[in-house]
Amino acid sequence: MNALADTLFAGEEKDILQEVMNIAFGQASADLAEVIDIFVILSVPDIQVVRDCDLPDYFRQEISCSGSVHIIEQSFLGKFSGQALLIFPSGAEKDLLKLFNSNNELGQIDIDIDTLEQETLMEVGNILIGACIGKIAELLQDIVTYDPPRLLAQDFSLQQASCAPVAKGSFAISIRTVFRFEQQNVEGYLFLITNQHSITWLKKALHAFLEAYE
Amino acid sequence: MIFAQIFDTINTGLVVLDRQMVVHYWNRWMALHSHIQSSAIVGHNLFDFFPDLNRPHFLRNCKSVLTFGNFCFFSQKLHHYLFPMAPVGSLADHFDHMQQSCAMGPLRNASDEIEMLYLSVQDVTEVVSYQRKLMQLNQTDQLTGVYNRNYMEAHLAKEIERCKRFNHDLSLLMIDVDLFKSINDTYGHPCGDYALKAITQRINSQIRKTDALIRYGGDEFCCILTETSCQAAYKVAEQLRQTIAAPPFTFQGSQFNATISVGVASLDQQDCDLESLLKKADDALYRAKQAGRNTVT
Amino acid sequence: MLQTILIVDDSPVARMIMKKCLPAGHNLTIFEAGNGQQGVEQYERHRPDLTFMDLTMPVMDGFEALRRIKQINPQAVVIVATADIQEKVLQRVATFGALYTLKKPPTKEALAQALERGAAALQQVSS
Repeated sequence: MNALADTLFAGEEKDILQEVMNIAFGQASADLAEVIDIFVILSVPDIQVVRDCDLPDYFRQEISCSGSVHIIEQSFLGKFSGQALLIFPSGAEKDLLKLFNSNNELGQIDIDIDTLEQETLMEVGNILIGACIGKIAELLQDIVTYDPPRLLAQDFSLQQASCAPVAKGSFAISIRTVFRFEQQNVEGYLFLITNQHSITWLKKALHAFLEAYE
Repeated sequence: MIFAQIFDTINTGLVVLDRQMVVHYWNRWMALHSHIQSSAIVGHNLFDFFPDLNRPHFLRNCKSVLTFGNFCFFSQKLHHYLFPMAPVGSLADHFDHMQQSCAMGPLRNASDEIEMLYLSVQDVTEVVSYQRKLMQLNQTDQLTGVYNRNYMEAHLAKEIERCKRFNHDLSLLMIDVDLFKSINDTYGHPCGDYALKAITQRINSQIRKTDALIRYGGDEFCCILTETSCQAAYKVAEQLRQTIAAPPFTFQGSQFNATISVGVASLDQQDCDLESLLKKADDALYRAKQAGRNTVT
Repeated sequence: MLQTILIVDDSPVARMIMKKCLPAGHNLTIFEAGNGQQGVEQYERHRPDLTFMDLTMPVMDGFEALRRIKQINPQAVVIVATADIQEKVLQRVATFGALYTLKKPPTKEALAQALERGAAALQQVSS
């Protein structure tokens, strides 16, 4: 975690947050594989605290996809609330379509290939985001609702996306994982950006998590 | 009491399913539009009545909701509809089925465990109808009724990719009405408008349904001929030239002649993208003009 | 009879949780390590009866550490602790010679069971 994290979290809280996220992403991977037949590897989550004005630069730094990207944005609302950003390199939608439409069940309706690819991307994104946030919410005893995901296709939107969830002058907690669909050789990023308002509740929830083991 | 009333009067379909896909609730909207009464379907497996839903795609989303407690969305764009229902009112003319936007969400028990899921079904046929109309307006030339440049920009590149992928032929005709300005000057603008309409009508009568005629500029047109080789395209172009050259056109009692110059280009190893194909056709058109008009090159 | 255990996990909180899940009044000596490499070193030094191994760790991950410990002592009793319990992981862990996999986060019951199974495995080895 970066140095700025110390301004928001006291010593032990950082460790609990990291462990909760590790467990959440690990469980999400397992459930995606076992229940939904989606084999994706989620890297150990990297947690950073970022000032609202630094978010655009933070994204540019973190994302090393050369070339253009697709961005899926989805808001989640609970006591744990914020925005999820799923970033795929352009072209990934073609590979993912093979994964999710392998028996061409959707080929029976007359849809153009672009729409099919885009909508598949959205459905995959929706499930991936739901898996990670669902597990975090479960561990911290929260219930979260979701807005429909939106597709922002050009990477200049990175600027726009990062402005939305974070109030001016506040901090955002970014939880980043790299996901990888091995069979399709598709790799991308998932960012969960939660704003400062959630932090008071988050700290309590983290302590409650640990206290359950007393 | 209140929720029961909302459940049955709301203008949205609502279905509650358990983990085995057995229907627990089927609201009035669903009954009215599916013609399946609640008493008939509650307690039964959803797939007994709607076997088409029993597919990996639908099941995957159900599993996600039941496992993670998230929401899943079935967009009209991708699915058109989940439940086959008749469209309502005048929209029945344009659609075989009601267009639907559906969503799915978790339902928890007293211990906050996810026990069931609900499905909501929204009739979006009217919205889709407007979207299609808007799209059509956006891609149609208002005067002649043929496609416009927007359509070409949206479709030609994709068509080229498709042809390259499947190794099909594709030819392009660049058509220019000869000395169009003088038609306007001599007979007036209304006649010029009529000329364009009449010319496109004659061209359309000669090309196939799978081909596309596009108004590219003021008096310039472009014709996409799918699965047509260069030689065949040349023949089509020559036929179009003859169709326009004779007989003469008649507008408000006066007769006038019109001719077209056509440039022909085809996809090949060298020219296999949008820009180079357009340029080749343009160059050919230029040579046709230089050769004295009313010519095909 | 189990006397010593080693907990290998890069998260201090995870190690803390594991310790808290141990039965009250246990007489076990507990060793800890913060990554795979330290885990192997600790194993070599103390030869604990039972080792709990996390999988995702820096410097050296749990798979590699498990492999090395098994090289030092093929009869080593190691239980893998991970949140990602999908089939592929379980199989791989079994191939490397772990006794079984414990799901994270652990419960008191699960850990009691782990100790029982560990003790049973140890008994088999010494008999």
